[in-house]
Amino acid sequence: MINNLKFNLPDGHDEKQFIRQLADQYTIKKEPTVDERLRIYDTFDWRLFNKALILYSAGNRLFLRKLAKSEILHSVEFSKVPVFIQDFHAGEFKKQLAPIIKMRALLQLVELQSRSTPYRILNSDQKTVARLVFEEIRPPRKRSTPASANHLWLKPVKGYPKYARNLAKRIEAAGFTRGKAEDIYFEALAVVDKTPGSYSTKMNIRLDPAMRSDQAAKVVLRFLLNVMRINEAVFEKDLDTEVLHDFRVALRRTRSALAQIKNVFPTRTTSRFKKNFAYVGKRSNALRDLDVYLLNQDAYKAMLPAAVRDDIDPLFRHLRKKRAKAFQHVMRGLKSKKYATLMKDWEAFLNQPPPDSATALNAELPVIELARQSIYKKSLGVVKTGNKILANNENETLHALRIECKKLRYLMEFFASLFPRKKMNALIAQLKNLQDNLGDFNDLCVQQEYLLHIAAELPAGQRHIQKTLVAIGSLIEALDREKHDVREAFAKTFTDFAAPAIQKLFQALFSSKAQSG
Amino acid sequence: MTTLALYSNKGGVGKTAAAVNLSYLSAQTGTKTLICDLDPQGSATYYFRVKPKLKSGPKGFVKGNKGVYKSVKGTDFENLDILPADFSLRKLDVLYTKFGNSKKRLKKMLYPFAGEYRLIILDCPVTIGILAENILNAADCTLVPMIPTTLSVRTYNQLLAFCKKKRYDVAKIYPFFSMVDRHKKMHKDLMLSVSRKYRGVLKSFVPYLAQIEKMGIYRAPVAVSAPESLASKSYQNLWSKVQKNILNPL
Repeated sequence: MINNLKFNLPDGHDEKQFIRQLADQYTIKKEPTVDERLRIYDTFDWRLFNKALILYSAGNRLFLRKLAKSEILHSVEFSKVPVFIQDFHAGEFKKQLAPIIKMRALLQLVELQSRSTPYRILNSDQKTVARLVFEEIRPPRKRSTPASANHLWLKPVKGYPKYARNLAKRIEAAGFTRGKAEDIYFEALAVVDKTPGSYSTKMNIRLDPAMRSDQAAKVVLRFLLNVMRINEAVFEKDLDTEVLHDFRVALRRTRSALAQIKNVFPTRTTSRFKKNFAYVGKRSNALRDLDVYLLNQDAYKAMLPAAVRDDIDPLFRHLRKKRAKAFQHVMRGLKSKKYATLMKDWEAFLNQPPPDSATALNAELPVIELARQSIYKKSLGVVKTGNKILANNENETLHALRIECKKLRYLMEFFASLFPRKKMNALIAQLKNLQDNLGDFNDLCVQQEYLLHIAAELPAGQRHIQKTLVAIGSLIEALDREKHDVREAFAKTFTDFAAPAIQKLFQALFSSKAQSG
Repeated sequence: MTTLALYSNKGGVGKTAAAVNLSYLSAQTGTKTLICDLDPQGSATYYFRVKPKLKSGPKGFVKGNKGVYKSVKGTDFENLDILPADFSLRKLDVLYTKFGNSKKRLKKMLYPFAGEYRLIILDCPVTIGILAENILNAADCTLVPMIPTTLSVRTYNQLLAFCKKKRYDVAKIYPFFSMVDRHKKMHKDLMLSVSRKYRGVLKSFVPYLAQIEKMGIYRAPVAVSAPESLASKSYQNLWSKVQKNILNPL
């Protein structure tokens, strides 16, 4: 690989004069200037950037390349810019993007006007041995504004290193200075004040072990509040299903933090916010459920025998109608005075300076101690409940175990920065396996019930609806088979989690005996 | 990395012209492409204005010495590099026979290029010996230009028989018509019967055109010297067929 060199232009730079000067030593051929409208895309949560991929369009083509590399991985023509993965035609492009963006929408991050003027340096055979490219980038439709980036690129051609070396010397002698060869992506986003990777739902906080517990809890809660605020601000645009999902996860984590980080705030404060946040969550339950059914549409259809596959379409049409209503319901909630007051009070509470005297039992306890206590206790609880299920083969308690696991997971994530990262990740991964199994089982139960219930809503008299009902029946049966498999897998998944090696690690990290001994 | 060979056991059928134009069109899509000029006559190398010189020498080429990789040159076009020919490559058949594991040496030599290039196009000389076997082993698929004449069809049959005898997968061989004279009835008739008789015949052909012969004067792919010409369009059609039928399914 040979690297392109980037130079900043000197003051009072004159392109033509510079090229004339070079022409005393080199044969130079000017190529046509290329004006391009560039648009860069990513998902709301920077999924492509996080994989070091850049998706952009120029003209009517879409390109995918690696960050800091000029090679195009894939390119495809489009008539309408794709938003969701299903908008792409089958092919390599789609194959590479699908597992990364999944159900998220592609958003335009920035639009830019780029102008590049290439010059080729030729040898005596009229062969290109190096390239010079003047590049100018500016926001579109603002010809009068100064370019936001102006550079000269020296692009060596493989096999002709001497030319590049000599040209670099000439360029520097003419007053150009070497610039950082940063990807144009960063400059482009800087123009619109965007920071790649700035949004993530991962608990990106650092706690100090000696911190007071009430203050540490506020750090966690402020992070979650920020995630809620960010998603709430774009909710109205209905970008994709994950805006609501991220909002709800942050909300659920907030409620869990209020309940599980025990006795750090006055009881009255905690219970008021817990109650109000529960209400906000409940208001969006129906919309989230509908989103999940609609996201699963293809998977559901794949479960059905081919003969009845398309018969189920009226169900999804019905669900889409319901979704539009549910969306408005959530929208009204987020715009309500009640919600605004709640969030304002919450923010004010989180920003209050710490009280002089302790207002709750654990408020002044170093957070590391509270974290150890709560995580260890919860982990013992999970093992106990799981063992009970194994012994009695009960299905009813599975739901309770799922909730307990969730609480444990949240606690571990809130306090992850206090413990060794590798060990923490290993434990979370093991817990996640168990959660996935329990989550799948719960989803399948809920879905079966929902389908039974929704079937009653369809206008049963119509002939094609009868076919739909048959298809729904067939789907319920398919879900039942899957449920059975998932339930079968529980014993092994749980035994893996309850294995001595894992439990010893929980003990070593969190038990107070292990710490004092 | 995918390797595509432009190969025929008959001379003067338009292998080099196709290799040069297809490699250019591939690079234009942003794909890092390498054209390997295996022909000691070095025509592809000449078209790209590069000196026919391998730093490794022919033995080093067969053994895959460092000199091979240092010989690669950038062309006039972004994303397109060339491994130039060398007159000494005429000894390839002899040298492959001389060293052990003689039929997979070319494949092994190309392997280190996988990190940098996504497509390698081999411009092959006329051969049907050990070098041909090296090419068939190295290529993921082989494009065979065919003039619609009885002699050409006969040579193609010889190639298929050779592949069957040596157990090479004939499903990886795709013929396409080249140097087609659309005014000749015989060309038209033969094209029809060959397309019916053989599998994998690409439904895109390159006509016999002066513009293609002029590549020697302009020393550039026709898509560069005459972008709007029929010659340029026929290679573009061929390239889209190659992408759709061969490269995408791989």
